[in-house]
Amino acid sequence: MRLPIDWLVEFVDVPRDAGLVAARLGSCGFAVDSIEGDVVDFEITANRPDCMSVMGLAREAATAFGLDLTRGRRLVPALPSGQTPIKVSVGDAGCGRYALVVMDVSVGPSPAWLASRLTAAGIRPINNIVDVTNYVMLESGHPMHAFDAAKLAGGEIRVRRARPDEVLTTLDNETRKLDDAMIVIADRDRPIAVAGVMGGASSEVSASTTRVALESAWFLPSSVRTTSRRLGLKTEASMRFERGTDQAAPVAALARAVALIAEIGAGQLVGGVTDVFPKPIPPRHVPLRRARIASLLGDTVPDAEISRILKALAFTAVGRPDGWDVEVPSFRVDIAREADLIEEIGRHWGLDRIPATFPALRGLPPPSAPGVARARLIRRRLCGAGVQEANTFTFIEAAAATPFSPADDLVVITNPLSEKFAVLRPSLVPGLIESLTYNRNRQATDVRVFEVGSVFSRARGERTCVGWAISGSRGDHWSHTGSDVTFADTKGLAELVAASFGVAVDVAAADDATWLTRGQRATLLVNGQPAGWIGRLAAISTTEDPVFVGELDLAPLAQAASMTPSTITALPRYPVVVRDLSILIDERLPAADVRGTIRSSAPETLISVREFDRYHGKGVPDGQISLSIRLTFQHPDRTLTDAEVQQVVEAIVHALTTRHQATLRGR
Amino acid sequence: MAQPPDISALRADFEQSLAAARSVADVKAVRDRFLSRKHGLVTALLKSVASAAPDERRVLGAAINTLKQSIEEFLSAREAALEAETVPAGAVDITLPGRVPATGRRHPLTQVRERIEDIFLGMGYEIVEGPELEDDWHNFEALNMPAEHPARDMQDTLYLSDRMPPDANGRQASLLRTHTSGMQIRYMETHQPPVRIIAPGRVYRRDSFDATHTPMFTQVEGLVVDEGVSLGDLKGTLQGFAERFFDARVKTRLRPSFFPYTEPSAELDVECQGCNGTGCALCKHTGWIEVLGCGMVHPAVFEAVGYDPERYTGFAFGVGIERLALRLYGIDDIRMFYENDLRFLEQLAP
Repeated sequence: MRLPIDWLVEFVDVPRDAGLVAARLGSCGFAVDSIEGDVVDFEITANRPDCMSVMGLAREAATAFGLDLTRGRRLVPALPSGQTPIKVSVGDAGCGRYALVVMDVSVGPSPAWLASRLTAAGIRPINNIVDVTNYVMLESGHPMHAFDAAKLAGGEIRVRRARPDEVLTTLDNETRKLDDAMIVIADRDRPIAVAGVMGGASSEVSASTTRVALESAWFLPSSVRTTSRRLGLKTEASMRFERGTDQAAPVAALARAVALIAEIGAGQLVGGVTDVFPKPIPPRHVPLRRARIASLLGDTVPDAEISRILKALAFTAVGRPDGWDVEVPSFRVDIAREADLIEEIGRHWGLDRIPATFPALRGLPPPSAPGVARARLIRRRLCGAGVQEANTFTFIEAAAATPFSPADDLVVITNPLSEKFAVLRPSLVPGLIESLTYNRNRQATDVRVFEVGSVFSRARGERTCVGWAISGSRGDHWSHTGSDVTFADTKGLAELVAASFGVAVDVAAADDATWLTRGQRATLLVNGQPAGWIGRLAAISTTEDPVFVGELDLAPLAQAASMTPSTITALPRYPVVVRDLSILIDERLPAADVRGTIRSSAPETLISVREFDRYHGKGVPDGQISLSIRLTFQHPDRTLTDAEVQQVVEAIVHALTTRHQATLRGR
Repeated sequence: MAQPPDISALRADFEQSLAAARSVADVKAVRDRFLSRKHGLVTALLKSVASAAPDERRVLGAAINTLKQSIEEFLSAREAALEAETVPAGAVDITLPGRVPATGRRHPLTQVRERIEDIFLGMGYEIVEGPELEDDWHNFEALNMPAEHPARDMQDTLYLSDRMPPDANGRQASLLRTHTSGMQIRYMETHQPPVRIIAPGRVYRRDSFDATHTPMFTQVEGLVVDEGVSLGDLKGTLQGFAERFFDARVKTRLRPSFFPYTEPSAELDVECQGCNGTGCALCKHTGWIEVLGCGMVHPAVFEAVGYDPERYTGFAFGVGIERLALRLYGIDDIRMFYENDLRFLEQLAP
């Protein structure tokens, strides 16, 4: 709301100082958008349609400055009773009041003072009649509309629902399709305005107009809002009606407009005023308790100050033993209960005067959601492992999402900002790939990024995951050249995350993970259940270098962690015995199978099996690889003898030979 | 009787030999020639004292011992000097860069979020988490924003094209949450006061994507409910937060505002650090910068979750992490938080 200070001082005798007025009203709840010379642009919050007007802001200024309104009750002659030459019928409850006058007019430009005020307030002058309706709207907050009375078929006005498939060309020359959720102002034959939103072009006041019908009505806020949204049309009128206008205002606004039109010599009233007002809303009464003001604000406001503020804001307060009975003026559509009144007291008493205190802590707060600590731990572990945290968008392009999810499982946004933000990510990885690519395009060759966040699926809902994408070298240093990241690195990150919770991950084939390269992809298993995947990205258009990715679901990880005992066993006192084996096996035989055979053919004294080399090439027959394994033995209660370890090793070798046709190397 | 060699000649000989020594081995050879127990020149000279005249022995002996001591000092010094010049086995160039294990950094938004969380954890708050896909009840209706409420315009919403499967209460998520306030409702529906929580997380609005707006941002909301909680308590809490977050001397003010779910409602401003409150372009010449929205919980919200609004009062606040991060790091384009440019991300400590 652009408020010219010279207009304001017609109603309250504040200093002509835009900065001062802005500051005082600013601290009462009217945020200042800008100050340009003599005009202050206030942001009016959605609950205060009454302050989308000079008079509304004047009332606030009078309260804030401790002044009286000077012309707030200006003498406007009452409209004569009697009929208007136009018949009005109201056929919908969405119109709570409909008032109309008819005037014979001579249309022309407005006088300079009127036009310049409108311009200062941000409204373009059109002609004297339309300008007066806008002037009264800005002054009082009540929107009005002027029709060319000669254009009304049948010389009547009907307020009714629009019929399906009715159309109306509005003042902005758009032809709009109406529907039966909308209220229209119609003549005998067709709609001539969308109620509370915009008038029609056919009945527009023009230079040739000689008689106008001035409408001043009250429409149900939700009805105007629905219509405005369906039409995608927001106007000065609709913004006021949908927030709630004053039911008591329509006739007073007409009287003001009639007087103003007469004052500028633009026309004279014909007949009286038609006022269809079937069911006036009785004024609201809200009790206000002294003790409640003190307890909600945390400050004691003197009774006299409370009374002063209420009176200045046009409330009628009658004292009661515990406080006041407050009658709410009809323009304060936002005041329905005690807390609303306490806000009024607080605003004008001054929030800066309320002492700062601290709420008592009366007990031990419950522990925070476990996901918080989980995410914090993962972030620190991965950062410590040299992976950078990224922050990518939750919504992505459909094309980026499709390889990672069946199309019918994607969660789609109805009204996305653009196609780039059309679906909710089914995985963190597409966004991470984009980040990786972004950096590679800016000469960063070694990129390792991760993110902890939500992923979405129609079938599985919303899940929290950690995902990562890595490429390039594992770190160059003058002492050695870095080696490129491999499958083992992405697997290592999965193992690191799982190990952070004391959980082990297993792998299984991932044949349906088509976004990963065959032969370099795996499903991650936690407690035998799929919980993620790892592998080499199948194709990425922007780079030929391999990119390794992975994603791990946190819920199964957390569940497995909760089942892991958290005790520490006493350290063994006897020495370990280490034996290394190198075997030749078929290159397709998974190391896990070899490990399983070794485990199953050894007693519990075999405490660790660890692969330390895998080799193929010179000296190894085609189709085979050499796998070197370190076996570590230990007995909890005594020192193992060489002989018994040797016996176990021979049993292991025997099992490997018979089960996997392995041959022992280097013997 | 053999005449003892001249001490000063011996000293001159020594000085010359030492001067010619170029290595630790050379010094050792000099040491041997002069001090060897068997055939050292000084040793020999000492032995000759016995044959000197009795009245000369003491003086001569002292002079030779002085010479011997001095030679030893010179030799040690020279030896040390030469040793310092040699490169020991396994010597390294200590000025080459160390091998730093690669480290990533937490994203700046994470750092700010954790900083906020930690401040409130210190004030006895519990951190809660909730879904990003919300139903209309938790995002709007229970927060005193029924359908067609004009305040819904303040939060232009992104909707899902199909509702998600129903939850245990039959509610179906239909939108991306526009604030984390839904968590306040969820918490109050399942807990009795006292309540003292913060709910951090991503929120979504159908906003343009430019230097000051993004369709997705991160929020931390707080809620305190108990008997006798006042606006003064809200003020003290937020002032404390601002002092911890910015600076102990930061100036704040509460300015009345409007939110459907709080009454009274306010916004917290901090004094503009660009101009120290004197007014500049950054603060639209007001001297203050808006930091967060807050207020006393609206009684209708308590009624929606089954709390008695006569018995309980409470306050709530919501702070946008991106905006705080912009101020904290002195950045003017919010998009930098979403580009994931390593040159940007690597500037902060981990």
